[in-house]
Amino acid sequence: MQQVLNGIFAGSIYALFAIGFTLVFGVLDRLNLAHAATFTVSAFLGIELVADLGLSIWAAIPAVLVFGAVLGLIIERLAFRPLKGRNDAHFAGLISSIAVGGMFMALLLARYGPDTRRFPADAFPSTDFQLGGVRITLLQMVILGVSLGLMLGLAFLVNNTGLGRGMRAVAENPHAARVLGVNVDRVTATTFAISSALGAVAGVLLAFYVNSAQMTMGFNIELKGLAVIIVGGMGSLKGAMVGGIALGLAEVFAVQYVGSSWRDVVAFGMLFGILLVRPQGLFGARQVREV
Amino acid sequence: MLSDYSATLTLIALTAIFAYSFYAVLLAGQLSLGQAGLASLAGFSATIVVPDDPIAGLSPLVVGIPVGMAVGALVAFLLGLPVMRLRGVFLAIATLGFGEMVRIVLINAAWTGGAQGTTLPKLVTPGIAWGSLLLVAYWFWRLGGSRLGRALAALREDELAARAMGVDISRYRMTAFVTSGAVAGLYGVLIAYFSRFITPDDFGFSAAVDGLVTAVVGGSLMFLGPLRGSAFLTSVPEIQRALGVEAGWIRPFLSSALLLVVILFLPGGLSSLIPRWRSPQVDPDVAPPELAPLPPRGSPVLSLTGLGKAYGGLHAVRDVDLELRSGEVLGLIGPNGAGKTTLVNLISGLAAPTSGSGTVLGRELGPIGRGHLFAKAGVSRTFQHSKLFDRLTVLENALVGAHVVSRPTLLRRLLWLPSARRDEQRALAQASAQLTRVGLGDRAGVPAGELAYGDRRRLEIARALAGHPTLLILDEPAAGMNHVEARELSTLIRSLAEDGITVLLIEHNVRMVLETCTRILVLNFGEVIAAGDPATIAKDPVVIEAYLGSDGPADTRV
Repeated sequence: MQQVLNGIFAGSIYALFAIGFTLVFGVLDRLNLAHAATFTVSAFLGIELVADLGLSIWAAIPAVLVFGAVLGLIIERLAFRPLKGRNDAHFAGLISSIAVGGMFMALLLARYGPDTRRFPADAFPSTDFQLGGVRITLLQMVILGVSLGLMLGLAFLVNNTGLGRGMRAVAENPHAARVLGVNVDRVTATTFAISSALGAVAGVLLAFYVNSAQMTMGFNIELKGLAVIIVGGMGSLKGAMVGGIALGLAEVFAVQYVGSSWRDVVAFGMLFGILLVRPQGLFGARQVREV
Repeated sequence: MLSDYSATLTLIALTAIFAYSFYAVLLAGQLSLGQAGLASLAGFSATIVVPDDPIAGLSPLVVGIPVGMAVGALVAFLLGLPVMRLRGVFLAIATLGFGEMVRIVLINAAWTGGAQGTTLPKLVTPGIAWGSLLLVAYWFWRLGGSRLGRALAALREDELAARAMGVDISRYRMTAFVTSGAVAGLYGVLIAYFSRFITPDDFGFSAAVDGLVTAVVGGSLMFLGPLRGSAFLTSVPEIQRALGVEAGWIRPFLSSALLLVVILFLPGGLSSLIPRWRSPQVDPDVAPPELAPLPPRGSPVLSLTGLGKAYGGLHAVRDVDLELRSGEVLGLIGPNGAGKTTLVNLISGLAAPTSGSGTVLGRELGPIGRGHLFAKAGVSRTFQHSKLFDRLTVLENALVGAHVVSRPTLLRRLLWLPSARRDEQRALAQASAQLTRVGLGDRAGVPAGELAYGDRRRLEIARALAGHPTLLILDEPAAGMNHVEARELSTLIRSLAEDGITVLLIEHNVRMVLETCTRILVLNFGEVIAAGDPATIAKDPVVIEAYLGSDGPADTRV
């Protein structure tokens, strides 16, 4: 039972990261490979806010959220907007977002150096709860609460607001959306901002969870995030959420029954399984090509 | 002096070889990130199979390279079986997952030395590295003008149109993937014997991304692209060092910023700075290839019995019976959404029927994986929304059309056999004759993407004609043409029929259909509502009601 809960906590962070990934893909049909850099940069920033500026984690999370949104706007402006209308925008977007991600990482290196950073020992209240023989720390509750809250908030935003309607219109057909009066550029920029804000919070939550941040933390989650969005179905928010939590659980059980060195294979095992059985993912719609 | 740079020079060559393994699939429009995993497997297999001491006087490298390339190609083939049906980013992510699994499995395996890796002798000199690179580059250079190279380019530009021209999509995609695997294997062995050390972590996600970036920065449409990308990206850190830029973060920052600049401002990569190779020249003295004669007038071409196609609950085509004989010009008309294009997709093998059956030129209609066989049998078509290979020239488009009547030339081109050149010249003559026939003879060297609308439609027809079709299907060829152009087109179609080509014409321009066709079939809601000669159809009240509107005159355009 304890293991199941641990899986859910880790999985909720994967899900939050992946949902940002899949949002950009679902709405704009672009894969933003700078997402992992946003994640890492934000984890370091979160530590700085708490460790050096003495902010409480309650204040740090919203601050990082805003910071992530700004990064998202920068990514869109630098890596994606200039490619608009190019017929190789798919390929070029992958590369330009890798480049922008690389620039972020270089700036991160300039500010913090290559070493692992940790939170000060007393950063979190050490309250914990006993629920039917299972121990849950307050921190874990926070992680789960924040990620679920943000994901549900996103679902509400997409389904029930004017902005969400704009996003769905752009996802369906950007040209038609423009003709119908949707400000496609603004929807695009907002989508990137929201996506990166979620990725940023995922970064700081993971830093809380493992109590540290490293330069390499982005690579790992990027691969897992890609696996999750395929498993859930490209562009499906629900899929990313379910897929992320499923991955968290599967990893915990893999460590339990197979061995910890095989943990990272799980994501790709799931990925291949899904691709072979159901290429459109758990919640993805099958696309029909037109002649 | 040179020896100071020998490590850098070797690295440029090796990085370029790795980038070629990405180029090999980018050429066919595939984005794969599994090459790092393939290189890793190849490198480790070679070190295991080959003893450190020379066997029979052969250096371990001489034995290791073929082993590595074979492993790379074989694993790529096995991986390709499940993943080759994926497209775009799905393929990229699946292959990335493969690479990551390879890394983890090798780290956990005992024979690789785990995360510590294996130590090897240093055997790769700049000469060996550049020699290997030249061989790889030579392969891709000769591939460029071959039938295979053109088919891969067609596949990249428009997969469906390539299939309609008789290109066996699955086989060619796999060919590109296996080639990529072999080149990645070569890289794996060379880099292992160059760095004297091989660990699974050398071939992780970032290695795969670096390889892709090198290929794209250099230019993925030009055979020297990977080399240019490698020379550029490998020397950037060296130049920075020479300029005294030392701070740890400035170097990666500048490299990334440069990468961004290249990708944003040079869409074709560094290769776009250099003018393109000129288009192949047509030798006027060479005759087109000997082509099989068309079947005699009146022999059966097409026979459909109760043919239907349903998408979910929607019957796009339902219960169509049709016989078509050689030399006929059959018009297919009907309102928008009547099922005309679906019917044509079924006949040309690009869609599979859900009910009924049919044969076209002796071929049973069936699953779309075999669509290219219809082109081989003599069915050729144009598309309603023109599907040209936009980044290829007009002549190259027509050459792809001639795929089914030309012979593979790559292997003979590698050896510079004169027969390869002769075959290429014949294919060129065939393609160029069709361009002249539709009036595009003087535009041969223009990229198809730059053509005006009417010219695009004509090029579609020329491309279809280049395959020497028995049955030519034209899907709304006159859409967007003015009266003069439509009349010219009508004349062209009749002259094709006189040559013995059977024509199936879909058109909304009813006057043109009435003037051009010998027989007309009217479709509405997926079903045949009338059939007969033009005079009968023009007077048929059902047709006038359904298609022209109850009071519309028969000769207006709808």
